[in-house]
This record gives sequence, structure tokens and C-alpha cells, in this order.
Amino acid sequence: MNFETVIGIELHCELKTKTKMFSSAPVSFGARSNSCVNEIDLGHPGTLPCLNKKAVELAIRACTATNCTIDSLVKFDRKNYYYTDLPKGFQITQQFHPIGSNGYVIIDVEGEQKKVRLNRIHMEEDTAKQFHYSDGTYVDYNRSGIPLIEIVTEADMRSGKEAAAYVEKMRNILYYLGVSDGKMEEGSMRCDVNVSIRPVGSEKFGTKTEIKNLNSISNVQKAIEVEVERQKEEIEAGREIIQATYRFDEATRKTVMMRKKEGAVDYKYFPEPNIFPIQLDLNWIKKIQEEMPEVPEQRKARYEKEYGLSEYDISVLIANKDVSDFYDAVMKHTTNAKLAANWVITELLSILNKNNVDITNAKIQPVHLASMVDMIAKDEISGKQAKEVFVDVVEGKDPKAVIEAKGMKQVSDSSALLAIINSVLDEQPQSIQDYKNGKDRAIGFLVGQVMKKSKGQANPKMTNQLLLQEIAKR
Amino acid sequence: MDMHMMKMSRVATEMHAREALEKAKAVQPKLNAMVTFCEVDEQLENLKNIDTNAKLYGMPIVLKDNINTKGILTTASSNILGNYIPVYNAHIVDKLQAAGAIVIGKTSMDELGMGGTNLSAATGPVYNPYDLNRISGGSSGGSAVMVSSGVVPFALGTDTGDSVRKPASYNNIIGVKPTYGRISRYGVIPYASSLDHVGYFTRSVRDAALALEVLAGRDDRDMTSSYLPVEEYTAKATGEVSGVKVAVIKNIMDMASDELKTQTNTLMEQLRAKGAVVEEVTMNEDLLKACLAVYFVISNCEATANHSNLDGIRFGVQYGENSYEDIMTKSRTAGFSTLIRKRFVIGSFGLADENQERLLRKAQKVRRLIVEEMHRVLGEFDAIVAPASLHGAPLLDATSDQLSLEYLIAENYMCMANFSGDPSMTIPYATVEGLPVGLNITCSAFNEAGMFNLAKAIEDVTGLCDVVKEVL
Repeated sequence: MNFETVIGIELHCELKTKTKMFSSAPVSFGARSNSCVNEIDLGHPGTLPCLNKKAVELAIRACTATNCTIDSLVKFDRKNYYYTDLPKGFQITQQFHPIGSNGYVIIDVEGEQKKVRLNRIHMEEDTAKQFHYSDGTYVDYNRSGIPLIEIVTEADMRSGKEAAAYVEKMRNILYYLGVSDGKMEEGSMRCDVNVSIRPVGSEKFGTKTEIKNLNSISNVQKAIEVEVERQKEEIEAGREIIQATYRFDEATRKTVMMRKKEGAVDYKYFPEPNIFPIQLDLNWIKKIQEEMPEVPEQRKARYEKEYGLSEYDISVLIANKDVSDFYDAVMKHTTNAKLAANWVITELLSILNKNNVDITNAKIQPVHLASMVDMIAKDEISGKQAKEVFVDVVEGKDPKAVIEAKGMKQVSDSSALLAIINSVLDEQPQSIQDYKNGKDRAIGFLVGQVMKKSKGQANPKMTNQLLLQEIAKR
Repeated sequence: MDMHMMKMSRVATEMHAREALEKAKAVQPKLNAMVTFCEVDEQLENLKNIDTNAKLYGMPIVLKDNINTKGILTTASSNILGNYIPVYNAHIVDKLQAAGAIVIGKTSMDELGMGGTNLSAATGPVYNPYDLNRISGGSSGGSAVMVSSGVVPFALGTDTGDSVRKPASYNNIIGVKPTYGRISRYGVIPYASSLDHVGYFTRSVRDAALALEVLAGRDDRDMTSSYLPVEEYTAKATGEVSGVKVAVIKNIMDMASDELKTQTNTLMEQLRAKGAVVEEVTMNEDLLKACLAVYFVISNCEATANHSNLDGIRFGVQYGENSYEDIMTKSRTAGFSTLIRKRFVIGSFGLADENQERLLRKAQKVRRLIVEEMHRVLGEFDAIVAPASLHGAPLLDATSDQLSLEYLIAENYMCMANFSGDPSMTIPYATVEGLPVGLNITCSAFNEAGMFNLAKAIEDVTGLCDVVKEVL
């Protein structure tokens, strides 16, 4: 039997705010456990929530970039359950009135474009983080109350590849917008996938399973592919799919059942009484939308229009916002767009990769790369020299100073060059004769001699021109 | 002594606070009103940094034990918080101390505020100074009797249904519940968030007005707190009521005894003599009857969620050890009384997916209808008044017919002002079978000035100002 895979995805993204969703405690990744908490995050009696305006702003950015309808009347609800990671015994979320609904994003899968519809984007607070050790469970409340948006798609994806493309697309958009770090491995973006299969042509959805806590985009694809295989085997063996939550075991490349879903849990949602509905100022929303950072599509269009870069160069640059930001910073100081792009894409990235350095931590200064690129364009240094200089530029040095120190500057002074050229010509009458007899290769030999005499510093282009000019005189 | 008359030297101030603390300890065997007595030395020392003209300079006060005090035991009269020492002050505690108040203790209450008798406090009943065989009323019973017995001139309570205004009636004192949002609730252990108000007791209208000047104001930590400026309530409470329109709820007066009717009518005549326009108004009886049921559903649903944080994991009394489920289950079983657990079950039932529409959501719809009915009357009148209760404080072992009209309407209508958030207060005015009964006044939102002004006129004619019932 042929099956069709049906996938829906829930993404939980931590918002890049300075403080928590409903408290003034700081948000700081990697801080000492339980150092970023106050009485609100610990659910102490008498505490009340106070909504973080920046979180609403970031949620509006996310909704705008994903074509969601924004509900300007912001309301929150309580989701009630008892668990150690939930200090208040309820989570404040937006069950009944999500800030965004009915959106979509376009994903690219192997050259094909596909629309993935978003059911909703809603704001909520994160839970505390638990660590289960042999001597007990430890709880870090630093995560308790961190602002989140949850992005829920319709069941529009049909393969692991599409799912991975969707997650990558969302991560990129949210990162470009400054909404979220989108670091799956650090948990600032968490992905839960709902997977089911059905016979091709069937309208009815099959029973779905949920795979939770996928920690990388490649695992999203892998997990779906092995889960689909598992479901096929079950059905082909005449067994039913059991509605359950799974996790993906990287080592065995298998999905492992965590718990069955026995009937829906009743979270007893009801409107949060401590936050009155908030009518957002429509001008404020408009301002946020107007001042929104570029999304990848916009940047792509700008690179085409302003810099005339090739599609390949653009795709490499914008795939990583930090690299693209660096390129933009370089372009503030030079007009040699294509050359600058080449240096970023080929030389810079390969050196950083080799040294395992992230571009945001790299010592290289955009202005230095720009000035090096300009010198190459003006023939002040050769491409070969540039590669040597670049090793130091990557370490944060000014290319001009490097060239100076290494005595590398090209001899572009025509009188100095002429002197060298004429002394070479005096020494090589046979070559002049050869050239005049039609042996063009003789020029190459003569250029080589000039280079040798100038210790490699002669400007090759000028050398070529002046040689021809001087030979003609003889 | 009226607190506004208390401007005195530092030495006298210090003596006054210490005397109040001594008196609180002395009346404790009789009234059982206190959960914790506070140290005053450091607070008196801190007074040096406070302007002697501060509104409450040196005034001894007590706080209901659901108001968080940093470093001082705060139990909400529940066993589950029997060891809870807050890490922060409620917003109003900071405000009171900045105004020069000296907190001498924390007072008994119905467990977590969920009751109207003060019989459910973990430390046992609080006794009424007017008759020690009778209840103080609740849930702010401890604070009420500390004011009526003359220990302090001013005490903080909270009011979710009538938890300040009812005990005020039983104790012959003033009980105020201002507009929802007028006083920050940050740091006050909740009962039902959409109904909870900070309230307080005094023995004079002037003190009531002064107290609100200190307590009111925007607090960024309570999103429901109002940005409206705080008024000079003391200056506005002149008692000049010419042209003020007062609606007396006829449905309630019809149930009153002749003894209470006579006194009410006399008071109304006296107000008319001052130029007020007083009329009896019939309110929709079905809606009045629904008040208690609506209150019961909404308050228990919200309370169930609000108190889910009391799980023995991070603070409070902890039982069990094997797992978090074990700790939560055992702590919550041992930490709450049966009555409270029953209410949680009811609240949970009302919130359950299959019930919520016909219980909580329906209650909220009826709540809106009741508020509309109130606002119909407040559209025509400046104030709605009625006896806070038809009787004085019940005996400790009294039972009531909880399905009688009198119980459903006359004894429970005051939660209307919690539904609407409108300011409401109780002021002494009558005696029924030898026991005090107060008059409840409710005005439109943020018209506390008008409410105090009418109360002042009533106080002027009854002469019931600064009445103390000594028990020593």
C-alpha cells in the first residue's frame, strides 16, 4: 500500500527579551542555576503577573513576518496542571485568543515552493527546567517565566524534508527579526512534531503520534522518517497506531514511546483574572511593523538590487544572518560588492570554519576587509599578496599596516618600474627578438624577470603595459 | 482616640506603639485575634527617617495575615503556610511603613480568606468584643476586633465577598472596600483574583478617608491597579449631603425586623433633614437571589487555580518524600482543612471542561447582569444603601438556613460590590437585640470621596464615632 505522510509542527521559541514574560527578573542564558528568579517566578503567594511589553512587540514581529492576522485585543488564560516545573500550578498562556492566527510561510524544498499554513501564534511563559539525577530531581527556575511564542502549523507538510525546511525557514525568520535565538540545541527553540500516515487518496487523517523535544533540524527530518517507517510497519502488520508521545533516540535512530495519550488532559483553561484584556494601540503595532528588521526575502531582494550579486552568492550569504550582517558591515566601507562577497564566502568562511570560530566572535573588522578589497580592486596588491595579508586581517589587523610591515606594497610607481624593466630588457635582448618574431610567450618570461627583480612587488598589470611600451621603443 | 489626632512627640509615639502591642497581648486570651505579634523596636528606630508629618506617623496597626510581610510569618491562617516567611513585602506594607505606621501584629482570618465567620482559622475562632460567645465575623475577623476593642485605630483586611464589611457590622466599626484597582493587591495572598480587594477597618470616617490617601495609588506590579490620581478624601468628606440621592434596597428592608426598620427609617429621615434625597428602590429579586450562587462558583473556581501554588515544593509546610506527586498530595491533604479541600473540589468541578460553560461561564454572565442591575440604580442615585446584616453577630455555634430568602439576599448581597468593583463600606448605625449592626453604602467606581462624604453625614447624626468596646 502507498501511504501519504501528514505532518503538523509546534514550535516553542524563547523571545529575546531582557526580562521575563510576567516578572522583572532577568533572562540570561547560561547563568548560574536559580540566580535569575524573583518571587513571581517561584510562584510565591501574593505575586501578580505584569506583562512584558517587549515580548508583545516581538510576538507582533513574528506574526507580521508570517502573514498572521493580529488580534489587537490581547488576552491571557490560565492552563491548570500540577507539576514540579510549574510553580504557580498554572501557566499563563493565550488559549482562547492567540495574538496571531491564519498565517502562512512559503518554504523551498528541492526547488519547489510550498505554502505551510499557520493555525496560530500565541504568547506564554516557559516552565522551570528539570534535571533528573540518580539522587533526585533538580529544578532550575531561571527558565521559569521566560517569554515564549508557540507557533502551530496546520497539518500541511508531507515529508521529513518539508518539515525540516519549515523549521529552518522559521528559525531563520525569527533570528533575522531578533525575535528568538532559535538555538535548538540550547532549547531556545523547541520542536514538537505530529506525524500520521494515510493511504494515498484518503481524506481521513490517520492516528497521529507526537515526537517531542527534537534538538536539531536534521533530527526533525530523521525522526519523522523513522517514525513514518515505524507506522507503516505497524499498519502493514495489521496493528493499529496508538496515540502516544515519542522521543527520538539519536543513538539507535529510533522513536521511543514515552507515554500513551489516554484521553485528552483537561487543563481547565479560563481567562486570567489578573490581566485585563489589553487593547493595543494600532499606531504602536504599525510602528513596530514599519520598523521591523529585514526578513531573509527582503535582504535577498536588496542584494540583487543594490549589489547585483548572483543567486548563489546571495543564498550563501543570507543562509546565516550573522555572515550576512558582516557582509553588510563590510559594504558600508566599500563599493566592490562582488569582490567583497567572494572574500566573505570563500576565504573568510573557510578560515573561520577551519579555526572553528563563529563570525560573531571573530576578530576580523569589516572595515579592514573593505579596505583590503579596495586595494585589490585598485591593483595596489595582487590577489596572491591579498591571501597572505588576509591571514593577519582575520586576526583583527589593519591590512594597510600589514602591507607596510611586510614591505609588500606593489611597485606601481612607473618610474621605479621603468628602471627595473629597462634593466631586464638590457639583459634579455634575445627575448625582445623572440617577441618581435611573434613569440608572445616571451612577454611572460620578461614579466617573470621583472617580478623576480622587484621581489614580487611589481604591479603585474602595469608591468605588462610598460614592457610592451618599452619593447616598442627598441 | 482618632488617629488624625495622634500627632505627638517621638517619645509619646514610641510609648503609644508599645502600649498598643501590650494591649494586643493582654486581650489575646479573650479575643484570640492575633496570629503573630511583631517586634516594634526596629520599626520605631526607622521612624527617625520619616517626616513627623507623615500621615500615619507612629500609628500602631495590625495586618490581616494574608498580607505579606518580609521576614515575618504570614500564614493566611492556613496550616500549609504555617511556616511561611515571605521574601518580600506587599506593596501596601511598604506604603504604610513609609507613612509612619508601626505594624504590631498579624491577625487571624478564615483560612485563606475563604469564610465569613473566622471559625476556620488555623488558630481557632476569634471572639466578638460585644459578646465573647459570638463570632467576630470573617474573613477579616482578627483585624476587626483589634479595632473595635480599641487596640489599634486602623487595621488592614481583605474583602472578596464581604470579608471586611460584614465583620465591621458585627463589631460596630467602619469597614471599607474601595474600588477594584484603587489599592494594589501585590503581595496579598489571594482568594479569588477578580473579586479580591484590599480593605480596612477604622473607627471614624475621617480615619477611613485618611487611610485611603495612604493606601491608594498605582502600582506597576499590579496590572489591575488604577492610574487615577489619589484624592484628598479627608478634605472632601464634609458630611454636606444636600441633593445627594440615596437608594435604600426595598427587597432587604422588607425582611428587616421592626426594630431595625425603625432605626433605618430614623436615619433616613435625618439624612433627608440634611437635604439628601432618599428613596426605596426595588432591585430585581431573582438577581439578588443569584448573588451567593454566582459568588460561590466564581470564587471557588478562581481560588482553586490561585492556590495551586501551595504544593509544599518550594515553600510552606512539606509532607511526603518519595516523589513530587507524593509531596504535593500529602502536603495539600494535610495542609488544608476539609472545608477548603471541599471548596477546591467544587472549584475544580466548575472549571472542568464539561462543566465550565454551565457553571463558571454562566456565573460570569449572571455576574454581568447583576452589575448591570446595580448600575441601573447607580445611574439614578449617588449611593445604594441597606443594612449590612439584619442581625448582630451570630453565636459561635449558630447555624443558618442557607436556602432562606433572608440568608440568600439580606445576608449575602454585599458581594455585588465585589462583582462590580464599586466602592462599598459599612458604618455603625443600629442596634438589634442589643448587638451592633452597620449600614452598607455602595457608590459608583472611584467615587470614594462621595461615599466618605455620605458616611460622614451618617456619622454626624448617629454620633457613633470612635466607639470602643473594651474587653479588659
